[in-house]
Amino acid sequence: MSALSDYRRREQSISYSAEPAGMGLEQELMTINMGPHHPSTHGVLRLILTLEGEIVRDIKPIIGYVHTGIEKTAEQKAYWKVIPVVERMDYLAYYFNSYAYCGAVEKLLEVEVPKRAQYLRVIHMELNRIMSHLVWLGTSCIDLGAIGVWWYCFREREAVLDLFEMSSGQRMHTRYFQVGGVIEDIPRGWAERVKRFTQTMRHRSEQYSALLDKNEIFLQRMRNTGTVDEETLLDLGVTGPLLRATGNPWDLRKAAPYCSYEDFRFKIPVGTTGDNYDRYRVRHAEIIESCEIIDQALDGLPEGPFITEDRKVALPPRHELATSMEALIHHFKLVTEGFRVPPGEVYFPIESPRGELGCFVRSDGSSKPARVHMRDPSFVNLQATAPASRDTYIADLVATLAMLDPVLGGVDR
Amino acid sequence: MAWNPGEDVVAVQRAPKPGGAGGAYRAFGETLRGLKTTFGRMLERPVVYQYPEEKVPVYPRFRGRHKLHKFADTGLEKCVGCSLCAAACPADCIRVVAAENTPEHRVSAGERYAAVYEINLSRCIFCGYCEVACPFDAITMGHDYEMSDYNRTDLIFTKEMLLAEPLERTPLRTEDE
Repeated sequence: MSALSDYRRREQSISYSAEPAGMGLEQELMTINMGPHHPSTHGVLRLILTLEGEIVRDIKPIIGYVHTGIEKTAEQKAYWKVIPVVERMDYLAYYFNSYAYCGAVEKLLEVEVPKRAQYLRVIHMELNRIMSHLVWLGTSCIDLGAIGVWWYCFREREAVLDLFEMSSGQRMHTRYFQVGGVIEDIPRGWAERVKRFTQTMRHRSEQYSALLDKNEIFLQRMRNTGTVDEETLLDLGVTGPLLRATGNPWDLRKAAPYCSYEDFRFKIPVGTTGDNYDRYRVRHAEIIESCEIIDQALDGLPEGPFITEDRKVALPPRHELATSMEALIHHFKLVTEGFRVPPGEVYFPIESPRGELGCFVRSDGSSKPARVHMRDPSFVNLQATAPASRDTYIADLVATLAMLDPVLGGVDR
Repeated sequence: MAWNPGEDVVAVQRAPKPGGAGGAYRAFGETLRGLKTTFGRMLERPVVYQYPEEKVPVYPRFRGRHKLHKFADTGLEKCVGCSLCAAACPADCIRVVAAENTPEHRVSAGERYAAVYEINLSRCIFCGYCEVACPFDAITMGHDYEMSDYNRTDLIFTKEMLLAEPLERTPLRTEDE
């Protein structure tokens, strides 16, 4: 017998979790492919479903279609050149990716980050969280057949991207965070625009509520579907809004504050049962909480430098290049070789829109990292697909997958 | 529970049970409420641009296609061929070959000039590190964002193409707009 293809081997490895149980009729299980080019898998996720009629009996996610080798690429680049590379993993949470990496390197270097830089980082990360949740809400609602919400969500997302373009020069993958701070100060008028945006965003999220919260179709699709209990999620290592929807208030911004998050007053929204409706409400409430954090950070934005004064890490200010020989030497040294990081290894976890995003960096003392690894929350959270959608209708699987909010760029890296 | 944040936790509202008498009410009442929200939006101004007829304006910090610069007074190129941009590029898309300036053939203000300066825009990730690295402000990120082409080879921009002014300027937003 010829060698089995990989696909066949995987297909045959599926175990049937339940006996066929039709109404006295002979039924057989059917195995079908969903994806990798299925519009409701939010990227190139491939699911092998074992169906009994319309009921999902088993499910196997197959990943790796957008594997880009970013972690390996990072080993060949100087520390500051890794930042635009790691940003491209989870393409809806680029500020979080770069912050996790920068935070890990800062911890190794023991660099002090100025307060203003920390606040600017918080503002950008929370805007990014809002943006990510808006994409999640919009695309999820398309899967449920509510295309109008998608237009509304993308209108607000556009406003956030405009703010990013104004402050950091690019709408996505901005490389705004650098080791030791941020690359430049915010432009004039930006803070007022962000203020105005948070005002509109609160108003807009009320409109989403009016459209969705008690809509009968939405309730039918969301309530008591895709329920997973807290223990199962903890066993799988699932974090973020999925875990909080079951009532466990685990949020790293409060549990282990980083980047001055201890300065801000905000609530952790939690659900009760952990069904799809709770997931929707938790994320929806998080948008409002993010607006709160942004407002507080803008009100308390301290004056001062926006990047560390340590010239061995941060580039010298541009105006010094023309006058100071030492600044020019440092500039050449930092751009060509980069800074050296003392040997050691560090793990730096932060709360991304999808859960715990951790960055592991090992340094061997040279100017390039010996290993960069990201613990991406989408990858871990994807494991909850099977317990959440086994023995449910295939239509509920689509809704559950949308509410799990996996980003395949982060899953495959 | 291992960790208790105290009163920082707020429980979200639970959904009403679908179906039944409440469901019959919601099928009409809540749908009408949703429609009110939808029709309310008709009074607002549209937010879309009629691209490509109407170009989307960009902010001053927007990083589009690169530009090389000359001194306005002498007409000499600012680039001295130091290759710092190529060293800073995370995507390795810049190629610089330097040559010596001579009194008869003076191209740049420094000792050397860039005889070859190529940017492979099909590799560029528009991170702007070249602009950060350049100590002479010879290369900056412009504002052009329409760069698609039919051939990959046409996306390798030479020095002459990067020095030339773009045919059509991208509209720019003011800081306060």
